[in-house]
Amino acid sequence: MATRDPLDFDIGVEDDEDGTPSPSSISPPSSPPSYFDRDRHVAFFEMLYNLMPYHYQSQEINRLTLAFFTISGLHLLKALDRVDKDRVVSWVLSFQAHPRSQAESKNGQFYGFHGSRTSQFPPDENGVSVHDAGHLASTYCALAILKTVGFNMLTIDKESILISMRNLQQPDGSFMPVHVGAETDLRFVYCAAAICFMLEDWSGMDREKARDYILNCQSYDGGFGLMPGLESHGGGTYCAVASLRLMGYIEDDLLSKNATSSIINVSLLLDWCMQRQAIDGGFQGRANKSSDTCYAFWVGAVLRILGGYKFIDKIALRRFLLTCQSEYGGFSKYPSELPDLYHSYYGYTAFSLLEEPGLNPLCAELGMTDLAALVHCFLFFQTDQKCCITALTLTIFDLSTRLLCGEKTLHRNRSLGAVKILFSPHNLAISVLRVCGRCTTLIML
Amino acid sequence: MESSEDDGGEPLSRLAEWRDVTPLPQDDGPNPVAPIAYKEEFRETMDYFRAIYKADERSPRALRLTRRAIHLNPGNYTVWHFRRLVLEALNSDLDEELDFIQRIANSNSKNYQLWHHRRWVVERLGTNARAKELHLIKSILSLDAKNYHAWSHRQWVLQALGGWEDELDYCQQLLEEDIFNNSAWNQRYFVVTRSPFLGGLTAMRASEVRYTVEAILANPNNECPWRYLRGLYKDDIELLVNNHEISSVCLKVINTKSDYIFALKMLLDLVCYGFQPCQEFRDAVVALWNSDSHPLDPDLATAICGILEHVDSMRASYWIWRKNKLPVAA
Repeated sequence: MATRDPLDFDIGVEDDEDGTPSPSSISPPSSPPSYFDRDRHVAFFEMLYNLMPYHYQSQEINRLTLAFFTISGLHLLKALDRVDKDRVVSWVLSFQAHPRSQAESKNGQFYGFHGSRTSQFPPDENGVSVHDAGHLASTYCALAILKTVGFNMLTIDKESILISMRNLQQPDGSFMPVHVGAETDLRFVYCAAAICFMLEDWSGMDREKARDYILNCQSYDGGFGLMPGLESHGGGTYCAVASLRLMGYIEDDLLSKNATSSIINVSLLLDWCMQRQAIDGGFQGRANKSSDTCYAFWVGAVLRILGGYKFIDKIALRRFLLTCQSEYGGFSKYPSELPDLYHSYYGYTAFSLLEEPGLNPLCAELGMTDLAALVHCFLFFQTDQKCCITALTLTIFDLSTRLLCGEKTLHRNRSLGAVKILFSPHNLAISVLRVCGRCTTLIML
Repeated sequence: MESSEDDGGEPLSRLAEWRDVTPLPQDDGPNPVAPIAYKEEFRETMDYFRAIYKADERSPRALRLTRRAIHLNPGNYTVWHFRRLVLEALNSDLDEELDFIQRIANSNSKNYQLWHHRRWVVERLGTNARAKELHLIKSILSLDAKNYHAWSHRQWVLQALGGWEDELDYCQQLLEEDIFNNSAWNQRYFVVTRSPFLGGLTAMRASEVRYTVEAILANPNNECPWRYLRGLYKDDIELLVNNHEISSVCLKVINTKSDYIFALKMLLDLVCYGFQPCQEFRDAVVALWNSDSHPLDPDLATAICGILEHVDSMRASYWIWRKNKLPVAA
């Protein structure tokens, strides 16, 4: 079950092997599985949630990431009942780095979440914290886990996270993941954008600078590299497009809007993405490389965000993914290899994009379930002066008419007010089912 | 200083050198999630590392300990960070450090922390390290010519320390070895557009077009040169459309009636950009189609979409969409 490449929170840059597939992956397995084996996947992930085999010890520094994969994976599989939510919450919150004073919160360190106890030390008798610092990727995972288990995000101390996160942003708009220094690339721009989005607060970053950095990463062929000048890559492209979407610089479903004034070259990007589906039905991360399970998510999610997922050959993709499905549960990178946590998780997200029955729908921009990705929006209402609303029942559907949110009761006898409700971050249609009162105007912001 | 040999994997608790240190166990808390079943060697090494790290002991033995910890979890950025602190405190020989990284590079060639550490060392050594660096990256690429980390590091070295003079030749060499290597094509673009010795994209365009057309004719089913060709024009669409070499290579490939998918795509794009094809193009496209019951549309772009729907059937929905988006002829 060991991964060949360290997870290292490689949310996108799983460098795949050189082009030639091994013989075992060319010939079809003797009895290929013809269905998504949900029960086996649940058992596999439940096992990992409870105990990871020693092969994962080299991933200790990314423990929170490992936990995120297991928990969010179980959520995708509609098996979150296997998770002890309270236990998870207290465990995750214990990784948060806290400044002990206002002054300390501005000392340049990042007060996000650690990924592991390995980098976390309690202060000594003199109250001195040794090398205490959070990591952007761990912070993304921590918040994602909390959202997945339904934790009330409004109770998080977000101020110190957001203020100190600004220290990680570089002059060119990119982000460093830890304040002591590390590589800067699109992965961490994405983490920063996702963090701000989940905390519903953009004070943590300069969005315009980040946008400019992202645009500099678009390659001559339409895809995005991880840094300006680098080869276009599925993971880099995902980080770029998802970040732009989260930050609000591109609209949902760009392709159906005939957007000619988009800040990115959409037609070139779309063509690049489409060409990533290879002859075996799987998706490759770069031109002329082997298909790899995880790119069914990285590239598939980009297409979903753009509104072009409908163009892919879903049957061929499904067929490829099933050759990577393990009899032990989980998915491997290439056909007929051993499964690993990372490729299993992205296998599940890929099947969710394929709308596999029995899986929860996916929020493409955040890489987790739609349900976990709910954020707040304001809904304003106004009535004609003579009447007032005493109750308002809203039924909120997303574009494929899945019910997301039910009844909300408003303040009594108000003619103008607002209600704060949870939305999925996609275009929604709202239908007002019942209003006790005569007339209304509803404005959504 | 640090010995060039490993400790031999002897448990630290049995080494006299470490007798004065109390290992610090990992405090996972009462209810850890996704606990890992650590092997004893890992647990012990990290317990000692934690002790040294907390005490902030920047000594030769600490340096050796970081090497051991790196071996067990090369992804642990805390360990690498502490190693850097120790190297600085001891004023260590950074050329030796480069050698150390080189020895472990092959088995860690896709490890972010290793490459970042390398960069940190090279930054301190300056331009003197340039040649050695470019050479190391070449040796990594000779094992895996598409290693993304190696390419990223190479681009950084070129931009920070120079060494551009031979880079175009290097790209040429890699492409001769494997014309399908997209990393090499990308590097070529990088050099052509940024090398201070070459004059920039506009100056290089003509020769690059010739090179790319040759590559296309040798392997028309190779996506890379087609993308590269388009990339040479970026937003200069009019120049792209008016360059006869480009439409001409499309025609040549289509006329061979084999491996013509990318050629058709390029021709479609050209027409959408305003290219006015003469009858020769129409004849070549029609010749690909052998169904009398379903004649091709008189509009060339529509006809091309129709053919692609069949010959590039994996993307059939995409071609249908593209066809429907074509501007309706007046």
